Amino acid sequence: MIGATPRFVTWAAIAFVLAIALYMLIPIAVVVASSLSSSQFLVFPPPGLSLRWYGEILNSEAYLAAGWTSVKLALITVVVALGLGTPAAIALTRFRFAGRDAIGSIFLSPLILPSLIFAIGLLMVFSRYGDGPSFTGLVIGHVVITLPYVIRTVSANLVDLDPNLDEAARVMGARWWQRYFLVILPQCRTGMAAGAFFVFNISFDDAVIALFMRAPGVETLPMRIYSTLEFSPDPSVAAVSAVMIALTILLVLLLDRVFGLSKIV
Amino acid sequence: MAGTASLSRREPAVLLTPGLLFLLIAFFFPTFQLLMQSVLGTGAEAGQLTLEHYAKAFGDDFYAGIAWRTLKLAVIITGICVALGFPLAVIMTRASKGVRTALILIIVLPLMTSVVIRTFGWLVILGQGGVLSWMLKSLGLISRNISLMHTEAGIVIAMVQVLLPFLVLTTLGSLNQIPRALDEAARVMGAGFFGGIWHVTLPMAVPGLASGSLLVFALSISSFITPSLVGGVRLPVVAGSIYQQMTGSFDWGFGAALSVLLLVVTLALIIPYIRLTARLGGRS
Repeated sequence: MIGATPRFVTWAAIAFVLAIALYMLIPIAVVVASSLSSSQFLVFPPPGLSLRWYGEILNSEAYLAAGWTSVKLALITVVVALGLGTPAAIALTRFRFAGRDAIGSIFLSPLILPSLIFAIGLLMVFSRYGDGPSFTGLVIGHVVITLPYVIRTVSANLVDLDPNLDEAARVMGARWWQRYFLVILPQCRTGMAAGAFFVFNISFDDAVIALFMRAPGVETLPMRIYSTLEFSPDPSVAAVSAVMIALTILLVLLLDRVFGLSKIV
Repeated sequence: MAGTASLSRREPAVLLTPGLLFLLIAFFFPTFQLLMQSVLGTGAEAGQLTLEHYAKAFGDDFYAGIAWRTLKLAVIITGICVALGFPLAVIMTRASKGVRTALILIIVLPLMTSVVIRTFGWLVILGQGGVLSWMLKSLGLISRNISLMHTEAGIVIAMVQVLLPFLVLTTLGSLNQIPRALDEAARVMGAGFFGGIWHVTLPMAVPGLASGSLLVFALSISSFITPSLVGGVRLPVVAGSIYQQMTGSFDWGFGAALSVLLLVVTLALIIPYIRLTARLGGRS
């Protein structure tokens, strides 16, 4: 058969794919395995299984506070990023005006700048013109790095949808708020939801902006994990990480269920 | 009619203004602040324009060594990502739907897991008494515990895992645009399996591979979490020493100058990347 793949290539491909799968997943698997260790050291193989580290983090003020800060930060970032990004995406897809491409690039530009460099600039601004880094500073930083994702998902969603619905509403005499709240925003729903997934994930996982905008009394989970790793990692860090991994898996599966991963990536 | 026209001219302005104002204050202003800080004097020369921070960055052999290590690691990491990512992307385009979905999950799940957590996993694998050491010992390949912590090999192993998804997803974008019939045509005309890959698939994947490589290279030189934790203080890289300058020794002028140099190199890589992905017509 012409176009067939030689038998040995198929076998080689299977072996290669399995090796890559192992390589990509092993760091995650190892973290989860370590969290179940009964030893207080991170050694392999673990001497026994235990859930004590999960109990440990549930009783740890520091981890619970960091978890709450992370969730709060991610949720606020989602709301602000959607609030700023959705109208911009609507303008960029539904209207033709001078400089539209340039403005589109401006909205995507935070993707180009390494977040390390932006984080330093933000730290300088907050130290020079404010009282130094703060929770608000973290929110602002996270909104900047996630805004492009909202613009992308909402725009990608809107170009697939019928612009004539809005035109019809306009011709029929709908007021601006009726057009937006009854026609356009419901159309954006899918794109906004996809954007919210990405924004939440990026904000919840970010350590770069967080490490530079380190403020007294404000600690997110990735910051806490990073500083523990620098000094003395024990299986309780693994337990916290395993919880974050579980949340990521949940988000990825939801994303796949709702939108289909192959369409989004 | 006139009313509609003026409304539709005002409407995008109203929709865009909040976002643009926000980016102006929260994104462009901080970046400008960073540029300014890199040319402002400190101490007795406070407030005056100076190139002393850049002179220090270029004049110091210590930083030349760090820059050299950063670039060398980025070249190796990018090369390995291409060598692993291209075959993987080709397999993904030719596999059955179920296998493709599974592979996308395997690529996306680590990508969406925090870099801090993935690096943590590598610390447990590469460290003394870690998973790698244990596995090699169980296989009888080594007799004593080994550790790849604080080695360049360790940094490369961890960084390739962190950055491979970017290369695979970008390459997949360009592979998906090659009509399947092209490869079939080559095969009908007498090309072998590898002939088809070499003469048809690879050349057409070059834009995707090139843009993926530029992206991986740019991300690699600006990463500091994985190199700092795996490499430790013995193997500093540029991004790690910037973090050190900003949060440890508080030499902001010098940290800013290093950042601007990093930014210049990154933009020199990212702008061709954007051109290439725009030409591919796909979303990056």
